[in-house]
Parts: sequence; C-alpha cells; structure tokens
Amino acid sequence: MENQAVTERIREVAKRLLSDGKVSCVIGFEKGTVPMRERPYFAYTPEEADKLIWTSFCCNNLANFLIRRDLGEAGKIAIVAQGCVSRNIVGLIKENQITREQVFVIGVPSPGMLDRNKIQQMIGANKVITEVMEDGAELVVKGRDLEERIPRKKVMRNNCYTCVQRNPVIVDELIGEETAPTHGGNIDNVAAPWEKLSIDKSWEAFADNYKDCIRCYACRDACPLCYCHVCFVDETMPQWCGKTQDEADVATYHILRAFHCAGRCTDCGACESACPMDIKVRRLTSKIEKDIRRMYDYTPGMDLESIPPMSVFKPDDPQEFIK
Amino acid sequence: MFARRRFAVLKNLLEYIGIEPGRLHFSWISSAEAEKFQKTAIKVCEAVTALGPAKHMIKEIGKVA
Amino acid sequence: MNETTFQPRIAAFLCNWCSYGAADLAGVSRLQYPALIQTIRIPCTGRMSPKFILQAFRRGVDGVWVSG
Repeated sequence: MENQAVTERIREVAKRLLSDGKVSCVIGFEKGTVPMRERPYFAYTPEEADKLIWTSFCCNNLANFLIRRDLGEAGKIAIVAQGCVSRNIVGLIKENQITREQVFVIGVPSPGMLDRNKIQQMIGANKVITEVMEDGAELVVKGRDLEERIPRKKVMRNNCYTCVQRNPVIVDELIGEETAPTHGGNIDNVAAPWEKLSIDKSWEAFADNYKDCIRCYACRDACPLCYCHVCFVDETMPQWCGKTQDEADVATYHILRAFHCAGRCTDCGACESACPMDIKVRRLTSKIEKDIRRMYDYTPGMDLESIPPMSVFKPDDPQEFIK
Repeated sequence: MFARRRFAVLKNLLEYIGIEPGRLHFSWISSAEAEKFQKTAIKVCEAVTALGPAKHMIKEIGKVA
Repeated sequence: MNETTFQPRIAAFLCNWCSYGAADLAGVSRLQYPALIQTIRIPCTGRMSPKFILQAFRRGVDGVWVSG
C-alpha cells in the first residue's frame, strides 16, 4: 500500500476513534517544518486527525510517548505502530509500564524508513533539499535547481535493512495488508562489526565512533526503553558518569546506556535517527542483542508471553567466564 | 544467577569495545574455600600485572579541558 | 614504569556470604595472597552492577575482580 493511501486510512481510523470517544488521543506523525523530518503529533479531536500523515521519514519510535504520561487519567490512547514500535509496546506491557487495554494499536506494515543523512550525502552535502516525494520504489528529491530520482532501497536506514518483523505483532486495526516480515537482510551478519578486530583495534574503532558525541542525550530521549525517573547520568551522589565530553565519560555513558537496553532493544533505530552528530549508536546495542540471541535464544518484543531474558535464569546458562 | 546473565553480557561487551579480557575477572568461591580464594587472588594479580597499567576508560581530572 | 616494578591496583568486589567469608577464612588460616587487591564488600553478588565496574575503571584501577 502506498504511503499516501496509508495516510488516508490512518486519518479515517483516527477520526472514527476520536469521534466515537473510544480513545482520548491518537499518537501519530505530522509533516515536519523541514523536509525529511516528520515529527510526532498528538491528535485530540477529529479535526486534528487531518494533520496525521504517514511517510518514509517517520523515524521516531512512538512507543516512547506511551510512557511519561499519566495513562490512568488519559484513558485509552491510540498509537500508529509499525513492526518495531509494536514490539516496543509489547516490551512496555511486559515491564508493567502500560496495560494492553490502555492502548489501541493502529498497525501499519513498515515500508522501511529512510535515512535523511544518506539522501543528503547522495544529493551533495551543500545542496538544499526542499521537497522529497515518494513514487513507488523511487524517491523524487527536489531542491533549488535540482530534481533527482533515487531508488528507495539505497537510502534505507541501516536497521531497516535487517529488520526481523515489519508487521506489527499486536494490532487492533491493521491498515493495508501484511507484508513479508523482512527486507531480506540478516542482522547476525552485520551486527557487532568490531568483533573481528584485535583488542587494540576495537578500542580505536569504539573511541573513533563516539568521538563526536556531544552528550545531548537525544539517543536516550528517543528511546522507548529509557523511562527511569532518574537516569544514571543525572545522578550526582554518587556520580556514576561524568558530564563532560572526556573520552571516559562518553564511553561510560554509551556502555551503560547500551547495557540498560540488554534483552529489550528492538533495533528500531530511533537512537541513530535522533543523533545530531550521526553517530552509529547501534554498534553497541546490536552486539548485546546478538549475544542474547546466541546465549539465551531471545528476541525482544515478539510476543506477550515470553519472559524477558535478564529477569530469569536457567541452571545451564553459559558460565565459562566464571573461574 | 541473575548476576551471571548480567555479567556474561557485560564481559562480552567490554571485550568487544577493546577492554582486555584479563582486566575483568569473575569467580565463584564459597566461604569455605579459603584456598581457592588465595589461588584466585594470586591468579588475578598475575593476569593484571602482565597486562600493565590500564589505558582506557580512566577519567583524568587534570587532563579534562 | 617498567614491568618489574609495576604494582597494579585491583578492585575486588566480594559477596558478603561467599568470597568475603573465604577471604576472612584465608586470613584466619594464614594463607598469603598479594596485597594488590582492594576489597569492597557487597551485600550479595546480585547487588553488583555494571556501574561499579565502570566506576572502578574510571577511578584508575587496572583490574576488577568480582567474586560471588
């Protein structure tokens, strides 16, 4: 289903839900003020629902907005969710942050979101893009004295190439038809790229990857897994992680952030899309999730029944590292 | 037991980013195993001495701009 | 600092009920072990958090030993 048609259907469903009083709010996307930057939008009235859109630049993870709000008073909330977002909703339900009854999932099979940085690079870093339109498998990029057609597949976000479930895993109303669950990429082949390097080289690669980090915490704030009331980086007594851009502080922050996502990360790519410095934040989370698949045979958020891997143990868990 | 899963993941992660595996040791010693404690302590000290001073992850207050 | 004089600092996180008891018993039994390890008693290995390990490295230890 084309994104334009999906937009129409999302508006239709949102209007119906809001005017019937079934939900108090529909969380979706609206057009951003600059091209390729659609932003989250909360529609409270049927009129506002006309602002909702669906494009290939809906990079935020909307499950993020189900937390940090008092759902008890808000009543039921509808949320537009593709595969990864629905998996994060499942995660939130499992972690008792929300209940299944509190959310109405408007499921959309994901087309695979696009990476605005890749498009910009392809067009030329100094070119101004004023409009991007989608035409089937191609993109029409328009700007000052330029009009180019780019194949969609070339500029997809890295995590979308290796997606394991494009279709929503829980759904109250599905828009369009279920598609093939993957784009064909295998996450195990590309996850953890520094594994093959020597110890010194891996540190070099790690330090180099994060050297631009400005500690803006956009990756944390974009992540639906990060809902602690006081984050470890904000703690001051004791202070676990300094607030400077010193290599040790940056490393501590990224290691611990990735570790807190262990066994929970759905590889939605919201952190990488949010990063203003274009840091490949997934290099760490992908390694952890790969280990968890290997050691505990678990993929986060695929169903409501399985138990999160870090909250259980088995007598025969790997322990060769304990002497 | 939960710690076991936690540190299996953490140890792999630290190795992945370039912290030498010999700097981080885990062991399982009961309160009756004084001899094992002694042996492990010696082993840990030898391993870390062999690696030399730590190079990464140190917050050097003087150096921070 | 050359190899022979290098004296590492090692943070040892010992579980109150297991290794801390073992260290105690080692002391009572006059078993000698290197004085390089600095013991930190934790209530249980379950209390151990990755934060502690990273904090130890940040403060400049050369090695960390967690024992349950």
